[in-house]
Amino acid sequence: MSDSHGLKFEYHPGLPLGLGKTFVWLFLSTEIMFFAGLIGTYIVLRFGSIAWPSPHDVHLAEHWGAINTAVLIASSLTVVLCLEAAKRNRSAEAKGWMLLTLVFGCVFMGVKGYEYSAKFAHGIYPQYPHGRIYEKADLVYSAAVRKRLNELKIAIEKKPERTAEDEAHLAVVDEIQHKYVEPAELMVRDHPEDPQGRILLTQLAHAIYPPADLHAQPPRPDPQEQQEKDPAYEPGPLPGNVQIVPRASPFRFAAHEHDEGSSHSGHAQGFNDQHHWLKLPMVIPGGNMWASTYFLLTGFHAIHVLVGLIAFLILMIYVLDKTRAGVIENVGLYWHFVDIVWIFLFPLLYLF
Amino acid sequence: MSEHETSQEHETSHEHETSHEHDDVHNNYRLFLTVAVLLVIATTASYWTFTDLWPFGESKEIKRLWMMAVSCFKASLVIIFFMHLKWEANWKWILTVPASFMCVLLTLALVPDVGMRIFNGFGGYSRERLMHSAELPGDKAEQQHAHVKHATGGEDDHPQEAH
Repeated sequence: MSDSHGLKFEYHPGLPLGLGKTFVWLFLSTEIMFFAGLIGTYIVLRFGSIAWPSPHDVHLAEHWGAINTAVLIASSLTVVLCLEAAKRNRSAEAKGWMLLTLVFGCVFMGVKGYEYSAKFAHGIYPQYPHGRIYEKADLVYSAAVRKRLNELKIAIEKKPERTAEDEAHLAVVDEIQHKYVEPAELMVRDHPEDPQGRILLTQLAHAIYPPADLHAQPPRPDPQEQQEKDPAYEPGPLPGNVQIVPRASPFRFAAHEHDEGSSHSGHAQGFNDQHHWLKLPMVIPGGNMWASTYFLLTGFHAIHVLVGLIAFLILMIYVLDKTRAGVIENVGLYWHFVDIVWIFLFPLLYLF
Repeated sequence: MSEHETSQEHETSHEHETSHEHDDVHNNYRLFLTVAVLLVIATTASYWTFTDLWPFGESKEIKRLWMMAVSCFKASLVIIFFMHLKWEANWKWILTVPASFMCVLLTLALVPDVGMRIFNGFGGYSRERLMHSAELPGDKAEQQHAHVKHATGGEDDHPQEAH
């Protein structure tokens, strides 16, 4: 019937845009949900956890996250400028902007690599055997410390000729063994109901790796001195972990160069920081879950950055004129999405 | 019209187009640069919550709300200007709105899980979770203890087990 009236059916494409761009947007839709799932899971674990480490407990420096955000923003700008130049057939200019994007991307990855290495250097890995994070200062933890100390001791004692450095190392190992590990374990064994055993175990954990926010607590007056002055003096409950930190502790409080001048700055240095060769197990409540989510989120993001960099590298081979504008736009869309993901990851991981 | 005049007209028109193109390029560059500067300022606004200069107290909730609002603003800037959605046709809604809905729903769907872990009707975390999870920070432990005592009439020192 339609033929008799001369009507023609014409094929009409679904969306008024090219196949490449349609594909990229559909791909980005799936990516949005992928990262929404990851970030949502992080939120559930983060806020559903009984304990979560502060950024400084896990050697996370906020300023590096902020710098990386600025670097990604700059790279997003250079991609847009590259596209503008390509649209106007200014190939050399476009190539310059793309090269700059590549450099920014590499800087981002470099900073991320540096941050990862800082974690690895402190034994913060997503899982054993490299990871040295324990959740609680209990007998399982003290046994792990004792095992590591024994390993160190045997290694030194096996040496046919000991140097002065070996002797110094042995002295440190013995000090930790006799001053912290043994008293705690003996107290728990002989007086299992006495809270002093738990206090000694926590002192051991803090001597090795003190919580980063110890310094932020106000100094506590000596209860004995106070009671001598005022017999009615009651020490009362103390916030956080301060109550179980020994007064004559071996910690020295060192302000990190990166957070000078902030009330959040610095962290106490325990045996692990003072003697890097010790590599003793450390107690970071919630640390294992933190490491798993941090490395998963930033790792997936870093893989996306890497894919974007490879795409830019391939594009650099070609002449970036008007004919390539579509491809540049598509790769740029992907790159901007990677930027958006980081925009949310930065506060969630570093500042929350 | 002589050939010379036609050529002159053509040249004038070409110069006019070039001038327009130059203005466009200049305007676009300025716009994108402004957006980038705004993004950096917004990043500083997020970082602000971490510094001593933050004037709105130590409430984590306010800080988090502020940071998320700033992040949404930054993401909007990137999507609207850098991803050119401002200049795209209406197809943009077809692809972006459902994905955004899914994204929000996916995250919201997980919220009850957080709630069930913390506010489970048994006075907080289950005894099992407390025993096998990391240490409870001191201040939270005190709150938890007080909450459980209140819920159980001060007889039970431990939270009830969740089922």
